[in-house]
Amino acid sequence: MTNVLIVVGERPQQKSVLLEALRRFRDQGASVGIVGDFPADALTVDVDLADVHPLAATPADPRLRRALARTQQPSRALWLRSWRDPWVRRRVRTADVLVALDSTAIHTVWEMAQRQPRADACNGIGAAGRVVRARHEGTYRPTRGALDEVSARAGIVVRGVRRAAVTGAKESLEAAMAPAVLRSGVGGRLWRSAVSIPGLPERVRVALAYRVHLRSVQSGRPGLAAATTTAAAARMSSRRARADLLTREANGELDLGHVPVCLTEAVAAELALADEFLPKNKVRASRSLHKAMRLLFHRVPHFDQLSSPLAERPAEFLAPLRASTTARALAAPRGRATPAAAPPTGRPLRLLIMTNGNAHFLREIRQRYAETPGVELRYLHLADDPIAGPLTRNPGGIVEHLVAGQSEFGNRVEEWLRPHLDWADTLFVDWCVATAAITTLVDPGNTRVIMRLHSFEAFSFWPHLIDFSRVDDLVFVSEHLRDLTTEVVPALTGARAPRLRVIPNAMDLTGYQRPKDPSARFTLGLIGTSAVAKDPRWAIEVLRRLRATDERYRLLLVGGGLNPDASESVRHYEEALSTDLAELEPSGAVTRIGHVDDVPGVLSGIGSILSSSVRESFHCALVEGAASGAVPVVRDWPFFADRAAGARTLFPADWVVGSQEEAAARIRATTASEEVWRAEGAAAAEYATKTWDWTVVQHDFDELFLPRAGRQE
Amino acid sequence: MQSKLSPLAPLVRARRRRPRRGGRPHVIYLAIGFPPAAKSSAYRMRETANQFAARGWDVTVITLADESWEREYGLDHTLSVGVDPRISIVGLPLTRVDLETDLRAFSEARSLRPQQWIDQQRKQELQVFPEPVFGGWRPELEKAVLRVHREHPADLLMTTCAPYVNLAATWRLWDEHRVPYVVDFRDGWSVDVIGGGAAFAENSPAGRWEKRVLAEARAVWCVNEPIAQFYRDRYPALADRVRVVRNGYDEDCVPSTNHRPEPATGLTFGYLGSINFPPALLDSVLTGWRIARREQPLLARSRFEVRGHIGAGALREANAHMELLRAAASDGVEFGGPLPKAEVAAAYGRWDALVLMLVGGRFVTSGKVYEYAASGLPVLSAHEMDHDAATVLAGHPLWTGAVGLDPRRLATSFSEAARLALEATDDERAAARAHALRYARSAQLAPAVAEVTAAITGATATTGQISVGTSTEGGQA
Repeated sequence: MTNVLIVVGERPQQKSVLLEALRRFRDQGASVGIVGDFPADALTVDVDLADVHPLAATPADPRLRRALARTQQPSRALWLRSWRDPWVRRRVRTADVLVALDSTAIHTVWEMAQRQPRADACNGIGAAGRVVRARHEGTYRPTRGALDEVSARAGIVVRGVRRAAVTGAKESLEAAMAPAVLRSGVGGRLWRSAVSIPGLPERVRVALAYRVHLRSVQSGRPGLAAATTTAAAARMSSRRARADLLTREANGELDLGHVPVCLTEAVAAELALADEFLPKNKVRASRSLHKAMRLLFHRVPHFDQLSSPLAERPAEFLAPLRASTTARALAAPRGRATPAAAPPTGRPLRLLIMTNGNAHFLREIRQRYAETPGVELRYLHLADDPIAGPLTRNPGGIVEHLVAGQSEFGNRVEEWLRPHLDWADTLFVDWCVATAAITTLVDPGNTRVIMRLHSFEAFSFWPHLIDFSRVDDLVFVSEHLRDLTTEVVPALTGARAPRLRVIPNAMDLTGYQRPKDPSARFTLGLIGTSAVAKDPRWAIEVLRRLRATDERYRLLLVGGGLNPDASESVRHYEEALSTDLAELEPSGAVTRIGHVDDVPGVLSGIGSILSSSVRESFHCALVEGAASGAVPVVRDWPFFADRAAGARTLFPADWVVGSQEEAAARIRATTASEEVWRAEGAAAAEYATKTWDWTVVQHDFDELFLPRAGRQE
Repeated sequence: MQSKLSPLAPLVRARRRRPRRGGRPHVIYLAIGFPPAAKSSAYRMRETANQFAARGWDVTVITLADESWEREYGLDHTLSVGVDPRISIVGLPLTRVDLETDLRAFSEARSLRPQQWIDQQRKQELQVFPEPVFGGWRPELEKAVLRVHREHPADLLMTTCAPYVNLAATWRLWDEHRVPYVVDFRDGWSVDVIGGGAAFAENSPAGRWEKRVLAEARAVWCVNEPIAQFYRDRYPALADRVRVVRNGYDEDCVPSTNHRPEPATGLTFGYLGSINFPPALLDSVLTGWRIARREQPLLARSRFEVRGHIGAGALREANAHMELLRAAASDGVEFGGPLPKAEVAAAYGRWDALVLMLVGGRFVTSGKVYEYAASGLPVLSAHEMDHDAATVLAGHPLWTGAVGLDPRRLATSFSEAARLALEATDDERAAARAHALRYARSAQLAPAVAEVTAAITGATATTGQISVGTSTEGGQA
């Protein structure tokens, strides 16, 4: 019997190869254990093939947790976690063959091999297969002797002593980077000089510069952080090392909830690396591009703050992307071999609706076209599809396909999507996210392709992964989103751009007109508080101003709260909001009621409906509130306030306010008496219903889906 | 100060060449990958060495020791059977440390950061010679060439690349002993055969090496006309010394008769060769295969047999290609490992159609295209449309044509290949074989070796083929 222990450091990539090897090992009489850092569902293996033992995601041992916190290297961390596990130690004691399945696992197997001198230590399952076969066939010849064992034991002791010394030195170094030191002029200059000492080994310079950079940011000295990085980068000859340092620092700051001080430099460095790879290795180029895009469109700068550099200065912010050859290769229009066919005349139009996002905005649309004569409707939510679901969770695959022009990922998309494209006359993709991007990886044939962009997509990398030369119509829900998106995505202008349309969201507003209790007059409502962009603290400030003169005003916050685990910047906002609520909730000034299904019911108790957001595309909840007869009070969404279109062009001018003071003034005026309040509310309800109710908007969708030539009235 | 290893180091004064031993000219053949190495270049090397031996040369081949190949694609001793027994072989104990699979041979630093350790190695290798992976072999290769020359003075050094570090040893022998040399450049160095254009500038370290060594070469061989033209354009002074010597095929690899397809049980498609192209290419072919099986009942009951080497070192038969093949097992795809050269003809004999998967474009020909063309079987092309393989196959009566790598178009090609396999007449198969006759390996190499022999020894350049005793011997795929 040969005992084999396989160590896995990363999510196994070649499962079929592994399973085949395990079957061979079993047939050759081997007993196999597999340990590693992977979720239990990432590796399903029959019990007769191997005993699979995933390491605990969060170790219980506090000493181990401290050791892990000090360890930067994933390969070392895997060893530390493995060796503290009794199951692993038992297996190592009896192992004849130790196998590293991937490069992260190599160090763990190397350390195990020092402790089990009898075993072979193999890099890769193929090498292990040759040893197991030799043992099985009796041709195995051991090459190690007793001296090797003594030498291995001595090595363990020596390395232990050396590591203890290095750990002590590192701790001293950390102390010398205390905030007080970095805030002092002398301390800052000292560290800035230290990272740029000539002749410093690159690895040491990178490690030092990274630490000084992050400590400077944490000490409130972003200028020092940037200067340190610039000084270190200037001394680095390797483009890759420079990009690695900058992106590591940027990611470190994002983890802290900060917009990185060197974000542009990090993105530019990574894109330079991509451009260097591009002529010879498009896959590596695509990986660098994807890394750069993840940084550029990270949620912290765009979603978890009250402003976004993309909205404030799009051209400057996207300049590195525009300048990159790899990014231009990604955005190159591929077009379609045949134009979209005219709607069929002898049979119903086959309409396919697909999404992998929130399906809420499709309810009325699906219902109408499921019942429309002359339309055969199919609806696919890709997240529910076992094949398409994983395809929507692989933006890196999309980037690779677009840059390389060919990929395994693209082939999977072709296989899955083609039958659907062959069936559909018209494809409508809601949300310009993953489904839209994978759709345009393949030539749609003669199927007409329509997409809809709501809002957040414009601040993400998704529109940059969509080949709009394969899209016939792109629908926006408002003009200001259209304007911003066309500024951000060059593919939306020019000869190969799709037709751009603005059609409001589909909303059935008839059920919202319910009688309001007189007490609702002093109740402000904010529906939807699960994102920083909704800025509920703005609404609270409006309430404070109202209550300064009239304590009858109160605020109802409806909807799920913020998720502080999303990022540190969300946590910061959430902490500030909690402080506000701790002050105002006990007195009843603010009430949170969480998520509700019966929104019309809640609205019957709300007299003024607020839109306190920094950005919105349309704000359905506000419009629903207006339709209920609540007085709409809309902040002039700051992301769009300086643009030609925004809240002021979407809504009647008197609904929109420029400040909290103006908001308070409008509320005071419109709730001055019950009569005034009810009249204002009725006017708002009438306007909302006549403008945005589904009975009105559905005609725009009919025009979109069923151009007159193909419509069966 | 310039390094002794720099190409810019001052020339050592040329020494007088020693007289020949026994009147026979002596060629040192620097051929890393010579049999029994199971490498695709081994066939060309074997034929080259045999041609020299047959023309009266003493031939000393310098390659790596057998153990060194175990880390890469392994050994195929059936290849050595066809080597002229008069040829001497010197095996150097050089190994690729990057392919080490025994983790006990790793240092702690390498175990912690395997990739960075390799990167560091690469940097050091580049200091020795501007070629990653192999640059560090320069001192040993130089020593070996000088040692062989000392023991048996050479009249010619025949050097074949890759690896390009061979050029350093070639130059050293010229520099010190003025031994003339011919460079069998095969796919070239400064030409980017995959992307097209130049791989590096003339003033780069590699560019300076290439320019200097080629300038003194008696001849430079390339495997196809686009590469040859690239070199004529890059070095106009070299134009009349650049020659196309195509790879060709070994006649013993071609079956004497073809298998008769049996539609009821399905067809067998075959691929034979190293699987070293991007995984995406293999995936496109497998996707095309799946689409074709979905649409055609005949293909649904057919098989696709893949034979050849996959990966090296830790990734030997455990890489992304292998995963794709294993995962395609339920689609009738079988991977059977490498095929000894002696069994190649039999494999072609039992297959119904061939799938030609190739990387690159107009600068790439490959070796297997000739064998495929000569097999008398339908050939399905899975490569870029503008590819030198298309030049070889143009006019082949059983070729489906180059359609690129779009899986849907490849699916159509699978259907077309199946149709050709079923409907091809004996005359068409004979015409297909006849189409490839001019590409017999000996017909390609014999004139080139004859020219070199004439130039060096003054013998009449009889360009006709000389029997070199390999036509009925085995070899390796």
